[in-house]
Amino acid sequence: MLNYIWAGLIVSSLLFAVGNDVRDLRNDRYRNDQALPVEVSFPQGYDDTARRVPVRIRIDPAQYARFYGADEAPQESYSGALITTEEGAQLRFDAGASLPEPLATIATVSRSNDDELQGALVAFAPPGPNPVLAVPASLRFEPVRFVKLNAISGAALDFAQTAAEIAISLIGVLSLFLGMLKIAEASGVIYSLVKLVRPVLRPLFPEVPPDHPAFGMIALNITANMFGLGNAATPFGIKAMQELQKLNPSDDTATNPMVMFLAINTASVQLVPPVLLLALMGLQVNQLIFPIILTTFLGLLVAIVATKLYGRLPSVRASDPERGAAS
Amino acid sequence: MNAFRDTLALLSVFVVPAILVGFPLYGLVKGVPVYETFVEGAKEGFGVAVRIIPYLVAILFAIAMFRASGAMDSLVAFLAPVLAPLGFPGELLPMAIIRPLTGSGSAGLVVDMINRYGEDSILVKMAAVMFGSSETTFYVIAVYFGAINIKRTRHAIAAGLTADVAAALLSVWIVRLFYGG
Repeated sequence: MLNYIWAGLIVSSLLFAVGNDVRDLRNDRYRNDQALPVEVSFPQGYDDTARRVPVRIRIDPAQYARFYGADEAPQESYSGALITTEEGAQLRFDAGASLPEPLATIATVSRSNDDELQGALVAFAPPGPNPVLAVPASLRFEPVRFVKLNAISGAALDFAQTAAEIAISLIGVLSLFLGMLKIAEASGVIYSLVKLVRPVLRPLFPEVPPDHPAFGMIALNITANMFGLGNAATPFGIKAMQELQKLNPSDDTATNPMVMFLAINTASVQLVPPVLLLALMGLQVNQLIFPIILTTFLGLLVAIVATKLYGRLPSVRASDPERGAAS
Repeated sequence: MNAFRDTLALLSVFVVPAILVGFPLYGLVKGVPVYETFVEGAKEGFGVAVRIIPYLVAILFAIAMFRASGAMDSLVAFLAPVLAPLGFPGELLPMAIIRPLTGSGSAGLVVDMINRYGEDSILVKMAAVMFGSSETTFYVIAVYFGAINIKRTRHAIAAGLTADVAAALLSVWIVRLFYGG
């Protein structure tokens, strides 16, 4: 199933990207090679010998809406700079300006240092004696094509790197807790834990021998998850999987207990809201803790029942690596 | 209710110290050479982390491509009328779709929804409960199965996604139950 989902994600992202890009081209969403009317004023004066003059740029909302056929409105005005180069005058918006679509997309695509918006200034006449008065001008941006197609390649490369960084960043915490677990194994804590949780966990994992340390690791993982300690839960979960793998006659095929353990993990029983949610919402989260507890417990029930049911499907049963071993 | 909540919060503060101090202390009492044993176990950390890299790369890059392609909007447009009879608000669909795919992406969506609808809105409450009550299924599968080199996952994805769909629907219904609306 993962094969199909994985390939499906990749193929559909290409199809959707091309589809969206073709639609944008046909609708001429970015008005390539046309010039957007703007007004420029020079609050610090105009100097035609300077290479760079600070400006304020005003875009009339009505005109903007008509030009791009867009819903979002531009801000009152933007600060930027008029830059005179050999190829002509160029208007550069300050980096980080909050731009409406589609200008925001144009800004990220254009070849600039900090993704600031820049365009060639056309139909521009230098201001008269009072440079604070706005003068009309037009702005022509670099043509924008195949935004999404570029975006999917960029995203793929970025996230390949992110994936490796996430894995590498796990090394420290993994080592810490795997070391602790080794002590726990050697001292017999895990064994006591197994005896404690066996009555609850055994019905869910009938394939695992009653005294197996996997039960202890699973219990630690679930406990860490319940208290919202994702950092600790991951090493415990990995250790639990390693213990389950010791019982697995196959090298590369998941056993029923592994799938059950994974389903319990995705349902993630929570007694304390995850740290990240606390960071996002602040103390607001406290009033949500009971809905969260209730949802996770009911979700857990669904996960357990679903796993048991799917496990009975003929195709799933046929691929069970323990099937031959048991009989 | 408050006492229960505070107890839980207090307990969660003690779980990690209890493990970090309790395990070595108990080991010492039991006569385990704690330092050597710790180092022995910690050695595995590097290997495990390196082993999950290919699995994580495979999952994360495919999901990133999908999100960047703009397919989400089409998927939302397609699914919204299907889920409307179940009382599922269309505004929450992106959250329900993103939640099993990426943790950081769905956290970003929560922030986005707080900005758009306000902290007290029922939609944000639903999104927060959804965030808090399910896991990043594909990440968990990549990390846990990657660590032991399992490539054939059998019904794991189906079970995980069923749990996610259930959690998404339950968060909506349960928040309605608590807050009306």
